[in-house]
Formats: sequence, C-alpha cells, structure tokens
Amino acid sequence: METRIIKKENLAGIVKKLSEDMLVYAPVQEEDNVLFKVLEKGMEPLIEFDNAKNAPKNFFFPQTETMMRYLKGERGEELTDVPEEMQEAVLFGVRPCDARSFVLLDNVFNDSKYRDPYYAERREKTTIVSFACVEPPYTTCFCTSVDGHPFSTEGIDISLVDLGDEFLAEFLTPKGESLLVRLGELPKADEASMSKKEALSGEAADKIKSKVPGRSIKPWLDENFEHPFWDTIHQSCLACGTCTYLCPTCHCFDITDEIKKEEGKRIRSWDSCMYWLFTMETSGHNPRPSQKERWRQRLMHKFKYFVDNFDAIACVGCGRCVMYCPVNIDIRKIVQDISKL
Amino acid sequence: MENIENKLREEAKKLLTEKKVDALVGYEEGTLPFQASPCIITEPEEADKLVWNAFCSVNLAKYVHDIIHRHRESQMRVKPEDRTKKIVGIVARGCTTRSIAIHLQEKQYDRDEVVIIGVPCTGYIAKKKLSKAVKGKEVIECTIEGDSVTAVTSEGSIKIPLKEVLSDSCLSCRYNNPVISDLMIGDAAPPMDPEKEYEDVDAFEALSEEERWAYFTKEMDKCIRCYACRNTCPSCYCKQCFVEQNQPRWVGVGVDQTDTQVFQIMRIFHQVGRCVDCGSCIEVCPMGVDLRKFLKKLDKDGFELFTHRAGESLDSPPPLSAYSLTGDKDDFIFEP
Repeated sequence: METRIIKKENLAGIVKKLSEDMLVYAPVQEEDNVLFKVLEKGMEPLIEFDNAKNAPKNFFFPQTETMMRYLKGERGEELTDVPEEMQEAVLFGVRPCDARSFVLLDNVFNDSKYRDPYYAERREKTTIVSFACVEPPYTTCFCTSVDGHPFSTEGIDISLVDLGDEFLAEFLTPKGESLLVRLGELPKADEASMSKKEALSGEAADKIKSKVPGRSIKPWLDENFEHPFWDTIHQSCLACGTCTYLCPTCHCFDITDEIKKEEGKRIRSWDSCMYWLFTMETSGHNPRPSQKERWRQRLMHKFKYFVDNFDAIACVGCGRCVMYCPVNIDIRKIVQDISKL
Repeated sequence: MENIENKLREEAKKLLTEKKVDALVGYEEGTLPFQASPCIITEPEEADKLVWNAFCSVNLAKYVHDIIHRHRESQMRVKPEDRTKKIVGIVARGCTTRSIAIHLQEKQYDRDEVVIIGVPCTGYIAKKKLSKAVKGKEVIECTIEGDSVTAVTSEGSIKIPLKEVLSDSCLSCRYNNPVISDLMIGDAAPPMDPEKEYEDVDAFEALSEEERWAYFTKEMDKCIRCYACRNTCPSCYCKQCFVEQNQPRWVGVGVDQTDTQVFQIMRIFHQVGRCVDCGSCIEVCPMGVDLRKFLKKLDKDGFELFTHRAGESLDSPPPLSAYSLTGDKDDFIFEP
C-alpha cells in the first residue's frame, strides 16, 4: 500500500486541479447546506466540514435515471437512445459511514447474479476518497453499533486522515493507486504518521457515544412481525420521504414511462416505503394500508431482511434520519426500545 | 412556561380520565436537544409526558384531521346506527386553531369531534435559524432562559437573543393567541409584530420579473420532492394529492426541474386563503426551501383583494370557497 502526506493547505487545490481533467464529486457549501455536488469551475471543495446533508448514493444511483427512450414511428415504437457512456470520476470527501453504504448497495446492484449495468459501471469508474472521522462529527453518529467504525476503510480507495497540519493519504486499492500519478509530487508518509493514525483511530471510536444494539434485535424481529409495538412508532410520522431520501442505504425505486406526444422515456426514480403509493396495487388494494406497516417495513428491511439476505445491517449509522426527521422519530430509540422487549 | 405545562398536563389528564376525548395530540420531549416531538396519547397517565416550550414547532392540526378521518374510514363497515365518533383533543396555539377553523369551515370534521386546549404562544425556535446562528455546527445542548437561548456546540457555548432564532412566521404573527378554544391555559400572550408581516413580500414584489423567477427557480432547485411540506400542512389534506395521480398523470415523478416547480406552484396556489403562516412547511423542509415568501404573497393578496385572513374566525370562509354577491371586489379579475 502506498502512503503519502498532503499538506492541509494544498488539498483543496489538488482536488480542484483534478476536476479540470475529470469528473469530481465533492462536498460544497450551498447557502446553509453542505451538499455533494459535481465540482465545477469556481467551486470550492470543503476540506473541513461535518458531513453532507445528502448521501452520496446519488452519484451511483441517481434520484432519476433515464433507462431508455422511444419514439412512436410508422412501424411501432422504436428505441432511439441508449444511455451515454459513464465517465471516470472521483468521489471526494465521503465519510467512512457513507463509503460503507456503497459496499452494502453493491449487494443489491452489483451482485454476481444481478448486475445493474448503470450502477455497476459508475461504481467501477469512480474512485472514492474519504475523510476518516478523527472527530466524529455528530453526537447522533452511531456507526460502531452497526458494524462500522470512524476509521473504516470499507469501500474506500484513498483514505485521508487529518493529522493536524497535514493529511495522511493511504492508497488502499489499485484504483486508488492509479490516481496517485495525477496528484503531483507528494512525500511518502513515515512510521510516525502511521502510528499516529493508529492512535487516533482508537480514540475516535471511543468518542462515539451513541450506542444502539443493531445486531441483537434480529431474533426479536424474526419472531414478531405481528406485535403491539408496531402500533407505537408511526403515530407522529408525517409519511414524508426525508429519512429514506437522505439515507445512504435506502435504495428502493420505481420505474415509470413518461410520454410526451410521440416521444417517451423509461425512467427509474427513487421511491420511499414511507409513501402510501409505494405498495398500492392497481386493484386499489394496498398490502401496507397504514403507516404502521410502512414503518415496520423500514425497520425490518434494515435490521432483518437485509441481514437475512446479505448478512449485513442496511444502516451505516450516519444519523441523517435522526437529525433531519421533521418530527424527531429516532431510529436509535426504536432499536433500543425493541431490544428491551 | 412551566406553569402552562403543568396546567396543560392537568387538563389533559382530566379530559382523558373523564373520557371527554379518545385521543389527545400534543408535544413530548424529543431525543434531540432542541426538539419537541408531536405525540398522540390515549391514557391519562401519559399526560405527564406532555411539554409546552419554544421547541414545539409543527402544527398539530394535521394529526387531528388524519385521526378523525382514519376513524371514519374504519366505521364504514359498521352499521350507520352503530357508528361512533372519535373525539380528539389538541394542544393548540394561535396558528393551530386557525388551521382547525379552516378544517371546520371546509367541513372536514364537526366541531364536537375536536376539543381544543388553547395555549398562548410567544413563538417557536426555527431549527434552521438556530443552526445558522451556530454556523451549522450540531447543537448538543440548548436551553432557553427568558429572552435568550444558550446553545452548546463542539466549539463551545453561545448565547443568542431568542428573537434571532424565532421562526419568521412567529415574529410577525397576528394571532399568537387561539382564535377558538374549548378551554384556555394561561394568560394571553403579548402581541408579536404583525406590522412587519409583509415586509419580505413587499421587497420581493419590488424586484423585476426576471429576478423573482430566478429566486423561485433557485429555491425550488433545492427541493428533493420528499413532500414533508405537504404532509405536515394542515391545509394539504387531499386524500390523493395531484402529484400522485397517474390517470392522467399531472406531474412527472422524477427530479425534472419543471416537475418540481409544478408541484410547488400547485401546492402553493392551493393555499389561497388557507395558509395560516404556521411555518410548519418551512420548519420540516430538510433542504431549507424558502416557501414562505410565496405563500405569504398569496396571503397578502387574500387580504388586499378579499379582506380575508385565513382561519381568523369560523365566520370568514376561505375567499375561493365563498361567494358573496355584494362583497366581492372583482376588478382584479380583469386587471391582473
């Protein structure tokens, strides 16, 4: 593994330089929000920030994606377009929790049996550069409870660790190493930097105070599809899609055709289990008739079904749903409450 | 504030014990340091968890509407003579009572189906303004003392004047005391500053058409179509919103800029004479879209053209659902 040292004051410049030659996604300040955006000329990538409000899943699994276009011709419908070729890209500045979300999503979209060509190609062509959480950004962070770690390297190609005045850059994968030549001359990291990183890593994990028994509720979920507890959590839920849309691991989608006169396109767009329309059937029957069933689904999907299918919890502990739920429905509390049942 | 809270718990307990209400909607302490969460209680002992403070933000009237309507639906299979009513109690500040007034005017439920516990209001803290005041850092602790708020972040503790973080809707609120109630708790709150109500709108109106459109576009580009604004809005109670209709489809489901704009424009226009400026849509928006400017413009028009203020009393129905042979000033129809 290659390791390098990058001076703090140089990092933003390196990222901006990179964005001249290739597609770079980076966290930027947009009014009051920190958001992952395509870095365009004149935009400043953030080096010191907590985390972006939007999860970076959008770059692999866009909120809306055109899968094909068609045109009504004389001989029926003709396909007129195939998706453009994906570009080489760098996703800069992700937190380890968000990087882990890609490993989880790979189970769904880039499995040996089912390979989603759009997602898979973007994943393959994108190099992921992360900031280890030396200071876990929020008190709502709970990555250590869902198999994560503030210094996790899962899903990461290049990991940056803030050592004070400089960053330790670890080139963890061949994809990461291949980016090295584009970054200019960088000094190699010494032993001292490496051991400093080890120390910071242990301290960081201790700083995560929010603890959730993520794994241990599984047996209860296995047995209690029907339980009075499910009547309690959804009462104040607005049934909006904030939690699922900001979630790095939520990945449900819907496919629709949009037709204007003779032209049509087939699009895939994010959907949310919180919406009543999500399971609405053409007959008018809805197998999840109320918010109770929808909430149960959200919990079950993250802490049971995904574990059954892939032996992983579909939650990375980023805390976005906790922080941004308009009515403060706290998934940490729900999991804790279940563990006491 | 504490007195109000104690009294509130007492009254709520009484209503539930005497079975005058089947459920009661109020606020409880949240899991985050600056949030009170809506809650629905049905047992007298649960009344002790009710809170009343400046963190109580979202308008609760929507819950009343939804609880009653869900109950009515469940009664569809019951013989008409055996059908029951579900009586819902609600902790309501001025804007909440105005939303209830709109529900009643629009015949969403009967007056005897809701028991209104009126509370005087001195405004709630807007989460986004608080976050801005601490430069976007996470608020770890937050306490209110008199006219100031102390917010603790990882960078230390900051004292902020309460006025700086109160919701814009509250600062210029005209009805911070309930307009209808079955019982009142506490003394009437001192007036806010309604003279400044349309300051923002006036400034916006003074801009050129291009500037206004640019601002609208910029704000709507933030929208992620989570529908939190619509879902919290007491006046957005359509069983099926037009954005979810697909026979025919009015709006695309994707993130096409025009689709998002159409959703927002249509939602906003459906609020003519029906928006009480409770600020809930702004408060719940995860992306910080400035919806208020546009809603407030319609509110201003409603007042200037119809001398109407949404939900101010049960006797003044929304202008677009009422017709008066003598009262309508119809010039504007021909002179936009």
